[in-house]
Amino acid sequence: MMLEIKDLHAVVDGKEILKGLTLSMKAGEVHAIMGPNGSGKSTLSYVLAGREGYEVTSGSITYDGHDLLTMKTEERAAKGVFLAMQYPVEIPGVTTLTFLKTALNAQRRARGENELDAMNVLKFVRQKATALQVTEEMLKRALNVGFSGGEKKRLEILQLSLFEPKLAILDETDSGLDIDALKLVAEGVNALRTPQRGMLVITHYQRLLNYIVPDRVHVLAGGRIVAEGGKELALELEAEGYANIAREPA
Amino acid sequence: MSAAPAPRESRRAEALESFRVRGMPHRRFEHWRYSDLRAVLDAGQVAQSGTANWQIERVPEGVELFDLAKPAAPEWVVRHLGNIGNRPTMEEASLAFADGGAALRVARGRKIAEPVRIQISSTGNLRLLVVLEEKASLTLYESHTVDAGLLRNVGVEVSLAPGAELMQVRSAPPMPRSFAIEHIAVVAAENAHYKAHFANFGSRLSRTELHILLQGEGSEAHLSGVTVLGGENHADVTSHIEHVAGRTLSTQLFKHIAGGKSRAVYQGKITVREGADGSDSRQTAKALLMSERAEVDLKPELIIFADDVKCAHGAAVGDLDADSLFYLRSRGISEREARRLLVHAFLEEAVAAIEDGALRESVWRDVESALPRAMEAAR
Repeated sequence: MMLEIKDLHAVVDGKEILKGLTLSMKAGEVHAIMGPNGSGKSTLSYVLAGREGYEVTSGSITYDGHDLLTMKTEERAAKGVFLAMQYPVEIPGVTTLTFLKTALNAQRRARGENELDAMNVLKFVRQKATALQVTEEMLKRALNVGFSGGEKKRLEILQLSLFEPKLAILDETDSGLDIDALKLVAEGVNALRTPQRGMLVITHYQRLLNYIVPDRVHVLAGGRIVAEGGKELALELEAEGYANIAREPA
Repeated sequence: MSAAPAPRESRRAEALESFRVRGMPHRRFEHWRYSDLRAVLDAGQVAQSGTANWQIERVPEGVELFDLAKPAAPEWVVRHLGNIGNRPTMEEASLAFADGGAALRVARGRKIAEPVRIQISSTGNLRLLVVLEEKASLTLYESHTVDAGLLRNVGVEVSLAPGAELMQVRSAPPMPRSFAIEHIAVVAAENAHYKAHFANFGSRLSRTELHILLQGEGSEAHLSGVTVLGGENHADVTSHIEHVAGRTLSTQLFKHIAGGKSRAVYQGKITVREGADGSDSRQTAKALLMSERAEVDLKPELIIFADDVKCAHGAAVGDLDADSLFYLRSRGISEREARRLLVHAFLEEAVAAIEDGALRESVWRDVESALPRAMEAAR
């Protein structure tokens, strides 16, 4: 197993959000996590990435044989965990290219690889950026500042393709995208499906899963997985709504 | 305005008397509340500290330099020295006790591309005078060496004729054992521009005080600065800009980083006098507190006697943004590097105001070397 989450409980601001979540995923698979608002989807993604303030009170997460919960946020990234965020932050004063170079080299350094110089970073970024329609002009601008919703999400996927993580978590990547932007992002993601990489696609709506077809679908409600199935489960959810499937046992 | 100018010596005697009567500024003085100089330094020490050294390695062509230690000052020196601004008490002291300094003049219409670099060293009082004639322009870079000893008290006067432009950049390294006082008085005639950037790294007590008179219509003042403090350093920037004429513009952008047990102060007072219609003033002061024991005092102040003016001010003190820190760390950037990147980004806007590329780089180097201490919590 690439990722094994067992009986995970997590608390945010003194409130328990994840209440015994169990899930496992093999390398090369794409799993979708669907659930209504407030079910704990974003909390799960933050716990996986190691955000401060998301406290795991019990349970375990094993990633690639490591105890993920003992690793710092940046160590997780260097070991191949990547979270494409629902709301990428804007950082005035740091250009996108500088950010990408700093992040790339920080990860390479952590893995004992040699750093890339500015020229080679630019070459590498350009080579990947075209397919995602990330322009030179965007690279020169301050990180995410003044970017449209679609541009922000494309930049997240560009990072996915640059950092080449083993585990990619896509948190509501479809939110705020029109259909053309969605297709472009989905194509980018599909191009990155490899037998070595696992992807966890977190979404509220089934729409994204028409374009990124999952191997398995998990339904998250009330902080735990309440239903699991193949890709057809997503369609059922779309037809019947969460209320019928996600009802907690009495 | 200009009656027969008093000779230099009588003006010095006047300043001496004024300093003797008014004495050292202390916390009950208006605008010295956060920097109680009298508590740490007495008037006798100021008087005895003598004259600081200065050096200009290269005087660019077109710039006239007069050494104030020399006798027989030219008419333009006599006319302006000690005559600009309202002469607060520490400026009186520098005028009274400094036996030297530098006076610079650029003749009408001359635009000097190469910055004049003045280096100030050793302990004592010092006077600088900058006179730009009509449509002249100059960049002045003032750097300080660390060997300030007890006190460095610099009085700067700037006279800008119509259409003249001065860009002043000052960078003083951290001097934890010294007192560093600088008073800058500026008078700007029609359409003259005064731009200044102050990179402050603090001293035992450091005070930069500006008094700017936007006296001519269309004149402008643009101030920016970064204060990066660690240890127990203190830095106070206090400005008073008076919009005397109409259609005058002033902008201020100050960014502060305070770590350790340091204290950063910014007080920005704007007066828009009666009749200064169509004037516009904006001031922004922001601070990042890197330690629970550091202190930042930001105090914008507006006094408006005219109608039809635009004035905006904002002040904010905070910590590094948690969302941004998490975002960077989730991309593999260590916490230390992420903090450094965000601090850099925070200061960028203010340093970017320095137009000369080489000076901007030089200020960045000073900032970089001060940052590690400023990013420490108190020990």
